[in-house]
Amino acid sequence: VSQQGKNFHGITLRGSAEIMAEFFSSGISSILYQRGVYPSEAFTRVQKYGLTVLVNSHPELTKYLNNVVEQLKDWSYQRSVQKLVVVISNIESGEVLERWQFDIECDRTKALHDEICSVTRQITATVTFLPLLEVSCSCDLLMYADQDLVVPEKWEELGSQFITNSEQVCLRSFATTIHKVNSMVACKIPVKD
Amino acid sequence: MTSVTDEETGLRSLAALDVAMEDLGENTTVLSSLRSLNNFISQRVEGGVGLDVSTSAQGSLQMQYQQSIQLEERAEQIRSKSHIIQVEREKMQMELSHKRARVELERAASTSARSYEREVDRNQELLTRIRQLQEREAEAEAKMKEQLERNRLCKQSLDMANKKLREKEDSLAQAGETISELKGRISDLQWTVMDQEMQLKGLESEKQELREQLDLQHRKWQEANQKIQELQASQESRADQEQRIKDLEQKLTLQEQEAVIVKNMKSELVRLPKVERELKQLKEENAYLREMRETNGLLREEVEGLQRKLGRQEKMQENLVDLELEKERLLAKLQSWERLDQSTGLSIRTPEDLSRFIVELQQRELALKERNGSLASSARELDKVRQQLQEEARQLGTQLLEERKKRETHEALARRLQKRVLLLTKERDGMRAILGSYDSELTPAEYSPQLTRRVREAEDMVQKVHAHSSDMEAQLSEALEELGSQKQRADMLEMELKMLQSQSGPAEQSVLLSREEVSALRLKIEELEGERSRLEEEKKKLEVQLEQLTLVGDYDQSKTKVLHLAVNPASEARQGLRQDQARLQEECERLRTLLGTLERGGPVPAGLEASCLPSSKEVAGHRTLGHHHAAAGDGVLAHGAGAHRAAPAAPGQHPRLPQRPDPRALQPSDPGLAMPSALKAGRLQQEPHGQLPPHTARHCPRPPGQRQDRVGTHSRPVPQPGPLCREGLPRSPSSSILESVQGCSGGLLPAPSPGTPPHTAQTLPGWEPGR
Repeated sequence: VSQQGKNFHGITLRGSAEIMAEFFSSGISSILYQRGVYPSEAFTRVQKYGLTVLVNSHPELTKYLNNVVEQLKDWSYQRSVQKLVVVISNIESGEVLERWQFDIECDRTKALHDEICSVTRQITATVTFLPLLEVSCSCDLLMYADQDLVVPEKWEELGSQFITNSEQVCLRSFATTIHKVNSMVACKIPVKD
Repeated sequence: MTSVTDEETGLRSLAALDVAMEDLGENTTVLSSLRSLNNFISQRVEGGVGLDVSTSAQGSLQMQYQQSIQLEERAEQIRSKSHIIQVEREKMQMELSHKRARVELERAASTSARSYEREVDRNQELLTRIRQLQEREAEAEAKMKEQLERNRLCKQSLDMANKKLREKEDSLAQAGETISELKGRISDLQWTVMDQEMQLKGLESEKQELREQLDLQHRKWQEANQKIQELQASQESRADQEQRIKDLEQKLTLQEQEAVIVKNMKSELVRLPKVERELKQLKEENAYLREMRETNGLLREEVEGLQRKLGRQEKMQENLVDLELEKERLLAKLQSWERLDQSTGLSIRTPEDLSRFIVELQQRELALKERNGSLASSARELDKVRQQLQEEARQLGTQLLEERKKRETHEALARRLQKRVLLLTKERDGMRAILGSYDSELTPAEYSPQLTRRVREAEDMVQKVHAHSSDMEAQLSEALEELGSQKQRADMLEMELKMLQSQSGPAEQSVLLSREEVSALRLKIEELEGERSRLEEEKKKLEVQLEQLTLVGDYDQSKTKVLHLAVNPASEARQGLRQDQARLQEECERLRTLLGTLERGGPVPAGLEASCLPSSKEVAGHRTLGHHHAAAGDGVLAHGAGAHRAAPAAPGQHPRLPQRPDPRALQPSDPGLAMPSALKAGRLQQEPHGQLPPHTARHCPRPPGQRQDRVGTHSRPVPQPGPLCREGLPRSPSSSILESVQGCSGGLLPAPSPGTPPHTAQTLPGWEPGR
């Protein structure tokens, strides 16, 4: 990976919480598909934002994603969530290999589907330069929320799951009416044997 | 004596003649003369020898003298002739040589002419050759041009061909791409075809099984029919007896039932308190165990939380250390700042004082600048005024000079006029005296009109002169007055000049003082600005670091916290992995014990074998390509579906390969939930080591010694994260047969022994590992 920590400034997703939630469910599905965390048979193709977007068809995973996304909607209505991070970690060692970080800012601007389309395209395009995940991996979704937020039952607190020795690439952002989403991906710098 | 000398001379001349004769070979006239001389001389000599004694002395002397003279003359002649002969000889030689030279020249000329001719010929030849070559050159150039033209044409055609080639290549590339796409589609289709073939095979195998079952059912049905007929034949005879038997039996059964009921009631009554006690104990144990479980969970969470806190604390400590260092630096800075008041001698204790002082200094500077500006403007104005005054003074000086000149001229005029006046008065007096004398002398009335006229004219003249002199005097006086006024103005201006010069002196000194203060203040301001820029740079660096940290994922722990769902794919995948590892270790141990027993040669204990074979079955199950999930509602397959052998994804497999691992884990949880009832029917013993989906066992504490219960005692309706591990879809009929057979066996053998699993395994010879 030739890019070494170029820090662009991503855009923020300003939109209503629902559009944002919809984006996250499709975006996270496309990330999981592109990175091969789940086999391709677990995804179905759906037309969204003028693209062929992959949505996972497995009920358990959709349930999990829906839970997370519903909670995200609630918290983004309250404007107490700041980031959503998809952490891809090695199952055996628990080592964090990739972080997909979406910054959420609450502002007032207008919604654009083209922006969502461009971000999804960019997620697909980033696969070209990200290193292969050669070990069996699994994913986890983290939410960066305000300190004073009430934690519901099923949610628990933990550390921020950094990648040691990572390099970051900022992707495009897109904005809807209220929220703005900055996207960036951090991956572990591959060790040269 | 003279004769001797003459003889000697004659001999010498003879020798010379001989020499000349020897030299001259061919000159006959000369030779002949020489020969004659020779003869004469020889004769003379002979005659001379003979005559010496006889002749007289004087006559002979004269004769001898004449003879000698003649001889000498002849000798001279002879010498000259010999010389001539020599010369002629030389001339002859010269001519000969000349001729030879001529001949040689002619030869050389001829040879050169020949060579010249040859060269001319050669030249001509060369010229002809040159012409030929030039013609050939022209031809060659023409050919070259033709070839160039041909080359151009060829190049054009080549370009055209290249373009066509490129187009073809592009089309070929596109075709290649389409081919690759098609190949990909073909591969996908092939995969689907393979899948469908597998499905077909499974379906066919099911069909065969069903057919076999049908045959079995047919046979059973036929047997049953036969039995029914026999029974019907014997029923008629037994009808009456049966009625009686029925009546008696009914009575008996009623009595027995009543007895049984009474016994049951008694036993139940007896059991009640025990059961109640047991119930209470179990409830207490349950509650206790739940509490223990909760506390376990809480403790684990606490431990995890504490570990996280530890990590955070360590980070905090590092931050603390950094902060302490910064604090020390800042304290040092503060102290240096606080020392300012000691160094500068001003009463500064807080930064506010410093800022106030700076503000005051700035205000002072502003005021001083204003004053400076005003003073400068006033100085400029004064300079202007001074210059104006100087100019005016100069003008006044010049005017003064002019006025002085005018006055002098006027004075000169006045003097002249006065002199004239005096002269005129004198003339007047004289004239008057003359007139008076004339008047006294002459009588009036004749000359009076003329006189009066003259007198009037003279009086007019006098009056004019008076008027003129009075005008001149008036002008004089005016000039004198102007002079006086100009003098006064000049004096005034000089006074003012002196005043201004005295004033400009002290103003310059005040400006200098303010400039010193201003420079000191400027230095201070520069220092402060330098510090401010440094602080701004530090601030920018810190902001950049903050941005980098936020990109890495760092956050302000006082304002944000990181949350995630406790039940998430990663954690469940890890737990599944751990369970798989534990199960594999157990299998390993079992296999080792089996190996040990086999090596020892002892009898294999049934339990071990039974325990091992299900593991082999499991291995077969793992390696099979998934299980058919179609008959979810089927009760048989619902039993079979309990064989949740979620095989773990083979580690090291590339995630992008189209895998077909055990797909069972992607099945919904309903069959799993349906499990407890089915399992309690007796499948527990069939599959003591059945691999179960992680979700069913994850958060349940296993009751000791009952590995089988883990299937049934899942307390939480948890979503299946097993499917959230990397596993494929269920697509294989092979395991379905396994399930159906097991289900059948489960249905037929309500209490199967441990030996049945091997039996069920053996009934499926078609199932080889690796399918």
